[in-house]
Amino acid sequence: MIEVRSLHKEFAGRSVLRDLSFEIPDGRITALLGANGAGKTTCLRIVTGLLKADAGQVRVGGIDVARDPLAVRRLLGVVGDREGLYERLSVEEYLTLFAQMQGLRGSALSQSLDAVRSELELDDLWKRRTVGFSQGERMKVSLARALVHRPQHLILDEPTRGLDVLAARLLRRTLMRLRDSGTTIVFSSHVMSEVLELSDRVLVMADGQLVGDDEPRALMANSGCDNLEDTFVALAYGQAESPEQEALV
Amino acid sequence: MSFLKQWLQGPMGALVYKESLEAWRDKRALLTAVTFALLFPVMITGTTVFVFKVKSENESRVALLGGEQVPLLAQRLAGDQLRVDVLQEGEPSALLAGEYDLVLQVGEDFVSQYREFGVPRLYVYMDGASKDASRARRQLQERLAPLQQQIVQQRAIARGVAPQLLAPWRLEVRDISTPSDRGKLILASVPALLIMTLFVASLATAVDASAGERERLSLENLLMQPLPPWQVVLAKTVAVASMGWLGGVLSVCALTALMPVMPLEELGMHQASSLSGVVTMGLLLMPLALLVAVVQLLLALGSKSFKDAQMRLSILQVAPLFMLMALDMSQVQLDKPIWQLLPLVGQQQWLKALLVGDVVSLPMVLAGSVVSLLLVAVFVLIGARALRRESLLGAT
Repeated sequence: MIEVRSLHKEFAGRSVLRDLSFEIPDGRITALLGANGAGKTTCLRIVTGLLKADAGQVRVGGIDVARDPLAVRRLLGVVGDREGLYERLSVEEYLTLFAQMQGLRGSALSQSLDAVRSELELDDLWKRRTVGFSQGERMKVSLARALVHRPQHLILDEPTRGLDVLAARLLRRTLMRLRDSGTTIVFSSHVMSEVLELSDRVLVMADGQLVGDDEPRALMANSGCDNLEDTFVALAYGQAESPEQEALV
Repeated sequence: MSFLKQWLQGPMGALVYKESLEAWRDKRALLTAVTFALLFPVMITGTTVFVFKVKSENESRVALLGGEQVPLLAQRLAGDQLRVDVLQEGEPSALLAGEYDLVLQVGEDFVSQYREFGVPRLYVYMDGASKDASRARRQLQERLAPLQQQIVQQRAIARGVAPQLLAPWRLEVRDISTPSDRGKLILASVPALLIMTLFVASLATAVDASAGERERLSLENLLMQPLPPWQVVLAKTVAVASMGWLGGVLSVCALTALMPVMPLEELGMHQASSLSGVVTMGLLLMPLALLVAVVQLLLALGSKSFKDAQMRLSILQVAPLFMLMALDMSQVQLDKPIWQLLPLVGQQQWLKALLVGDVVSLPMVLAGSVVSLLLVAVFVLIGARALRRESLLGAT
């Protein structure tokens, strides 16, 4: 479980997160929605321990991130909004090194590498250096890095951005399989169809605050909208587009 | 061994391996390191050889016509930088047009005039338009003057006159420099250049491992691993230092290999750099390579962009050269122990001594190296704090 309590964060005097609180239950996929600048990435970076909150507390698997960030990072797999691969390393070298940094060695290391290689269909890429990889290939390798140590919690920041249909499909299939095996997954996205298909629960952020928190269909029903996009607009901007307005667009 | 194996397979070992793979596979960085490391010894060798070749080419050549009358004259005149050839015949103008700077002709009645205490003539033919003629004439006059003085003294003694009366004083110039000192003077720039090699050879790797990693957007992934930031900085320092150290050792090896080509005797050097000398110099450079690497990383991490980092480190790479040369030219006695504890200065003094075959004090070397390593530790911790800066992740 990931618990966020009364989180507050400022950058250069501007509040980016304001009294943000939520819980993400184990074994479910939770989507984090919000307009650009709503505070999603900052929130996820605080959860991973990359940034420090000005106030509030984050606990991952019962561990306080501020007190023991290294222990939390062993429980987390993170795919940021940037793949950040090393172009002079092959996929095998890249994943082996990150698995070793997570403390894997010996047979556990080999088994983990074999598992991500097969799950994410990396056979063709395995010995290649990552220079010149397509966006989909980069995302697969990045996801493999996040999964190689079998984390209990997986955090993804806009994972399908720039992916082609097949790559996006593979990613969705992988996330659902992970969810079924008990992994807690949080992802941010702007693609509503994907959120609807994948998520068990949706958190909507606006201006650093939580403005919606429920299952997707319940969220739609409560806002009186018949699709998630309108629901998001209503929650994030405080209004829904009327059918007339929509027709004009 | 098992500890080393465990360490290498552990998180820190993996991090060092990753950083090293990245560094050593960067062809551009490797090429920079190797090129400068090999180029500067070649340039030093070339310069030294050229300087001594020019010096030997500066030897004046004098043709002595009629020298058979005074066989000892040629012998007494010849010496360092003056070559005297006794010729049986020849036309002065033709000889001057050839390989000679000066023609000295002994007058036909020289012997008879000399014996009768007359004033025998010596004729000097020179080409006033030639730049070498004046030098040759000066050198010839410098040789003739003491010879003339000696003859006057012998004649005075023969007549019962005390020779001291003819010469109230005698000026003697004594050069107290030893050949080793002269060698040290000429090679003074080499240790500073060797140290500069560490900076140049590791520059590209330092920029790539810090500002480059940030621009490639991979730093965030690295910082999300369960490793304390000081380990990240230390691993990067080791990788960057390995490249600088490679440059330094290559330079030392190249200098050693080129030494037979250098005019070592003229430089006052023994064949100083043997294999043990190379190994010693390599070991001396290790702590300094680490210090240079961590300073470069700190500067690059504080830069705004990749180009900014390149500019900062480019300035940094020449700073120690100027500092060391300024200290060398100053009146500071750098061979005092306190100076040898200072990084850069200590290494410069030790390298200088090793290059000319002098011994270095082991306790001073150890103390100086420990000071360098302590500074590395301090800078690694400062670097770890820098990695926690939010601006580093573009979070502001």
